[in-house]
Amino acid sequence: MSRAMRIGGQIGGPVLVFAVVLALWWAVTALGWIDPLVLPSPLAVAAVFWNDAGTLAFNAGITATEAIAGLVIGNSIGLLLAILFVGSPTSRRSVLPLAMAAQAIPIVAVTPALIIGFGNGMEPKILVAIFLVFFPMLVNGMRGLRSADAEVGELLHSLSASGFQRLWMVRLPAALPYIFTALKFSACSCFVAAIVAEWVAANRGLGYLIVFESSQYRNAEVWAAVIIGTVSSMALVGVVVLIERWAMPWAFSGARHTGRLA
Amino acid sequence: MPLDEARVGDTYVPPRRALADGLAIREVEMIYRRGNQTVAALSGCNLDVPAGSWVSLIGASGCGKSTLLRILSDIVKPTSGTALLGGMTPAEARAARRFALVSQSAVMLPWRKVLANVELGLEVARVGRAERRRRAEAAIEMVGLKGFERAYPSELSGGMRQRAAIARALTLKPAYLFMDEPFGALDELTRDRLNFELLRILEETKATLLLVTHSISEAIILSDTVVVMSPRPGRITHRVDVGFGHHRTPEMRDDPRFGRLESEVRHALGHSMSS
Repeated sequence: MSRAMRIGGQIGGPVLVFAVVLALWWAVTALGWIDPLVLPSPLAVAAVFWNDAGTLAFNAGITATEAIAGLVIGNSIGLLLAILFVGSPTSRRSVLPLAMAAQAIPIVAVTPALIIGFGNGMEPKILVAIFLVFFPMLVNGMRGLRSADAEVGELLHSLSASGFQRLWMVRLPAALPYIFTALKFSACSCFVAAIVAEWVAANRGLGYLIVFESSQYRNAEVWAAVIIGTVSSMALVGVVVLIERWAMPWAFSGARHTGRLA
Repeated sequence: MPLDEARVGDTYVPPRRALADGLAIREVEMIYRRGNQTVAALSGCNLDVPAGSWVSLIGASGCGKSTLLRILSDIVKPTSGTALLGGMTPAEARAARRFALVSQSAVMLPWRKVLANVELGLEVARVGRAERRRRAEAAIEMVGLKGFERAYPSELSGGMRQRAAIARALTLKPAYLFMDEPFGALDELTRDRLNFELLRILEETKATLLLVTHSISEAIILSDTVVVMSPRPGRITHRVDVGFGHHRTPEMRDDPRFGRLESEVRHALGHSMSS
């Protein structure tokens, strides 16, 4: 099979399914089976994209900024804590319970308090996103940093490697698959966090747009905001996957060397 | 021929300084405690390995041969007794990077290509980039892996990974090479070929070899002395001198002495099991 045909086959399936779903959506709304107040016609949503492209893009940009800032800061904190906890059992015993307690806080319930404290801007939304993503990175990071074989540890020991060399040469590379698992999870959840935080109090962003348009019963506009939020979140996951492939070439390399010596 | 090295017949005679520079194991005891049970992995163990000679440890599993290697490599500390590498304790020898350890599973970092895996020891020792590259390439050439520098370990066969592990051990020019069943996971043919390649490398590098093996013929091919150990408690029961000298060839196996040595080691093993 040629390369073009293979790629065509890989893309063709999802595109076909997507087209069928769109057609069904259009059919159920056009035939009047579903109230447009529940689900607007795809044509109405497309019209919103056409007419309000600027508004949608501006608000999506605000939400994406908050989400990505939360993603970067939250995962950095999670990974640094994981490195600290794996390196020092004392710090793990004293700080990990607090980190777990922090994770148990229903963060959405605290959002109004954060808004009081930090105002109407991006900061409280970024904080909520940080809160939602740091713990999965902490847990996955700790597992990953400890995932290298005991024999690799003995090898590094016999080579008289320093603690930093072990971290840099073994623990971090061994943790990469776990780190990217956490990153892919947070690429979705950071958008959820930012949008939910915008519901509470905001004057821009996709969450604000959804709340405002629903108060006006403009359902097509709401769905347009939902779709653009979904697409942005999927695009972020895609970026993480691309970075993963770039950062871990050994995990994606096929057996290029077919020669066998022994 | 160097002044302090002499050959009498086919027997390897260590040079004068060899004993001081070799391995000295004195009354080493290793006791593991599990709950209120104690297991003597090693008991009253004495062994001298002159510098530049090749010694293999053979015995049933649980006889403490790997433990002995792990004591010398400073991975575990003996309960009592001393182990010295050229007068240094294992910890000092490790800090001075005097030995290298090759294990059965050919430990590779999967995210590093062959070249970077071979360079690992030099990188840890903070050797400069150009020097690192030069020595790693020389070691790769020595073990016959040239052309595979840019392959990931997952793309190599078991034998090739073991060659890479040996190359990594050689880059630091170790005085002592410790090998724990290095060819145990390989098929007979590959194992045979790597045995004689290892001999060639040992002659080139003049390293002292302490090898743990399960194979009688491998022990004879690769040693000046075969040390037979018995389990519970782990101790040395027999020593068999292999009078083949160095510069060995695969034809040594056709020598009638080879068969006699094999049966001698086999009997010593059988005796050690029944005692």
